[in-house]
Amino acid sequence: MLNFRHNLIKLIPKLLKAVIAQTAPVHSALSTCYSTSLKYSFSISNTLQKVQNPNCSKYGITPAHRIHQSQLRGACSLVNSGKPLREKLMHDFELPSPLSGGKVTIVGLGHVGMACAISILSQNIASELVLVDRNPDKLRGETLDLQHGLAFVRNAQVYGDTQYSATAGSKLCIVTAGVPQGPGDSRTSLAPKNLEIFKEIIPRLVKYSPETILLIVTNPVDTLAYAAWKLSGFPANRVIGSGTNLDSSRFRFLLSQRLKVVPSICHGWIIGEHGDSSIPIWSDASLAGVRLRDVDSRVGTKKDVENWSQLHQEVVGSAQEIIKLKGYTSWGIGLSVAALTRAILENSQSSYAVSTLVQGIHDISEDVFLSVPCILGDTGVSRIILQTLNSAELADLHNCAKSLYEIQKSLHF
Amino acid sequence: MHDFELPSPLSGGKVTIVGLGHVGMACAISILSQNIASELVLVDRNPDKLRGETLDLQHGLAFVRNAQVYGDTQYSATAGSKLCIVTAGVPQGPGDSRTSLAPKNLEIFKEIIPRLVKYSPETILLIVTNPVDTLAYAAWKLSGFPANRVIGSGTNLDSSRFRFLLSQRLKVVPSICHGWIIGEHGDSSIPIWSDASLAGVRLRDVDSRVGTKKDVENWSQLHQEVVGSAQEIIKLKGYTSWGIGLSVAALTRAILENSQSSYAVSTLVQGIHDISEDVFLSVPCILGDTGVSRIILQTLNSAELADLHNCAKSLYEIQKSLHF
Repeated sequence: MLNFRHNLIKLIPKLLKAVIAQTAPVHSALSTCYSTSLKYSFSISNTLQKVQNPNCSKYGITPAHRIHQSQLRGACSLVNSGKPLREKLMHDFELPSPLSGGKVTIVGLGHVGMACAISILSQNIASELVLVDRNPDKLRGETLDLQHGLAFVRNAQVYGDTQYSATAGSKLCIVTAGVPQGPGDSRTSLAPKNLEIFKEIIPRLVKYSPETILLIVTNPVDTLAYAAWKLSGFPANRVIGSGTNLDSSRFRFLLSQRLKVVPSICHGWIIGEHGDSSIPIWSDASLAGVRLRDVDSRVGTKKDVENWSQLHQEVVGSAQEIIKLKGYTSWGIGLSVAALTRAILENSQSSYAVSTLVQGIHDISEDVFLSVPCILGDTGVSRIILQTLNSAELADLHNCAKSLYEIQKSLHF
Repeated sequence: MHDFELPSPLSGGKVTIVGLGHVGMACAISILSQNIASELVLVDRNPDKLRGETLDLQHGLAFVRNAQVYGDTQYSATAGSKLCIVTAGVPQGPGDSRTSLAPKNLEIFKEIIPRLVKYSPETILLIVTNPVDTLAYAAWKLSGFPANRVIGSGTNLDSSRFRFLLSQRLKVVPSICHGWIIGEHGDSSIPIWSDASLAGVRLRDVDSRVGTKKDVENWSQLHQEVVGSAQEIIKLKGYTSWGIGLSVAALTRAILENSQSSYAVSTLVQGIHDISEDVFLSVPCILGDTGVSRIILQTLNSAELADLHNCAKSLYEIQKSLHF
């Protein structure tokens, strides 16, 4: 009897190792006993006895003299029914790769960031969505709220972290963090403060995803896209500002309302600064391929009796109007960013007006970021489309580049 | 352009959303971005909020499949809606029970429901405002509709929360985790552990203790987390929105596309599982263009049946105390 107990006690550490390796929940019950001092061995054997296994002897333990090293594996089956349910349900093969190509990070969970998140999630664009914010309560609350809807969309992993390590391997990083426009604020006035915030964010994103594409949304977007380019050291194709993609969609919506058709058959680019000095290219505006100016050459000019130019003024004033009415803008920019995200992740090579490095384009000499029609895909901006601009449009574009350059010069990168 | 036959006003794809708080707008963006409705009408009492939210959605229309989006404070704009989603009402604050909101929200419903019915007499009503089971019953009474056309969003969200929590523990995706939560959308919801499964494999076939008192892994905790979810999120971010928005969008799609797929929604359960009271509570239903076309009769054990009957009784007590 003494021999049996002595052998049993010697066996306990080996059994425990095997048990702990296989059964995590049982492990927590036994871990306090792992030091295997004599006084604990009795409680271990008690615990092991409680484990039910119809294949074992009455006390749940095979007597020591019948156990050999080679039988330790069999001895582990003693605690088979203590295996977690998960292990009884599934046998693991090759676990999912961490570099899926469909991972998107969103930094900043304000109204804009969350609108981007819900638009991306509900349209099944990303296979992995990582949310990053400084505020841990907001982060956890928003993450949970999105996760609770996952059963209704195609499978995606959604998780949140205050630490940037969680963003590693992102195909695309969307930056919305920063001080938002309040009623009456110009976007430009936000530049110095948001630049300081970017100095914290951009290097961390780059550190964990050195091959990522940066999509900048924070305003003033053109200046901050330039800042992100400088701070990241990335080639310019991998740094994009959401730019006038939204202005153009607002323009197409307003066209559609006046023409009483749907927006998808109305076309027109707004380029330049995402803001007061954006430029509508009326020469290209069309309905189902029919140029408005082929039908009436006065459209968008000073001679225009129907005052189509007013549509552009409404676009410029849109954000402030919505901010006055509901406090902030969210859904429009969210859907805009989701469309850009899809183009990049799906390598669709479709065209969008986004903010890119335009030095050398249309004879612009300054190194600034502003919006022109670009082709987007898995390398970010793969091509810039060279529109045929008339002299007035070119002049506006050059003025826009100059004023953006002035703003940049005043900032400390 | 030369005009031919202009679009018909009765498109079959028109959805109205009443109430543009966080829940209503989450429903709107989920429906719009998933191209579920061809026409989306927003109704709210606050004209500024209405106009701001409508504009903001409209500015994104170039990025989704064509839909008309417009807003109005007047219910005439809702005419011909296939589905009317009601989210208007006083929301839960931290610490508020859903039930405490019943009297106030009933009064609000007395303004809303008759107007929706007037302009869309054939519509389906999808009630989201809490307490959803009581207010779905109220909407049924106030509308005079047959019960198949009045639905509460019910435990559709609880079930998706449950499936998400299962997926986290099992380290798989939610879509292969299945489990119904039925009964009240609230503290007395009932998890049907006997049906919970992973890719068709019943958890209880693998370990019969799952969800019982003998459960060493304490799977029952998942249900407690579901019950406490809303309050947890409200404490962290002030309100819930995305989960319920995606839940409602899924129900909307099932109805508009006549998909005849199954969801746990709040419906009239008098006569189901021997329930005698005329109450609304959630059971698995088949949804399509007539609303609830069938109720699925689960095999419930005696404990689950007892819980369901208690749930029906307590909902009946709440109803009796209200003035319809």
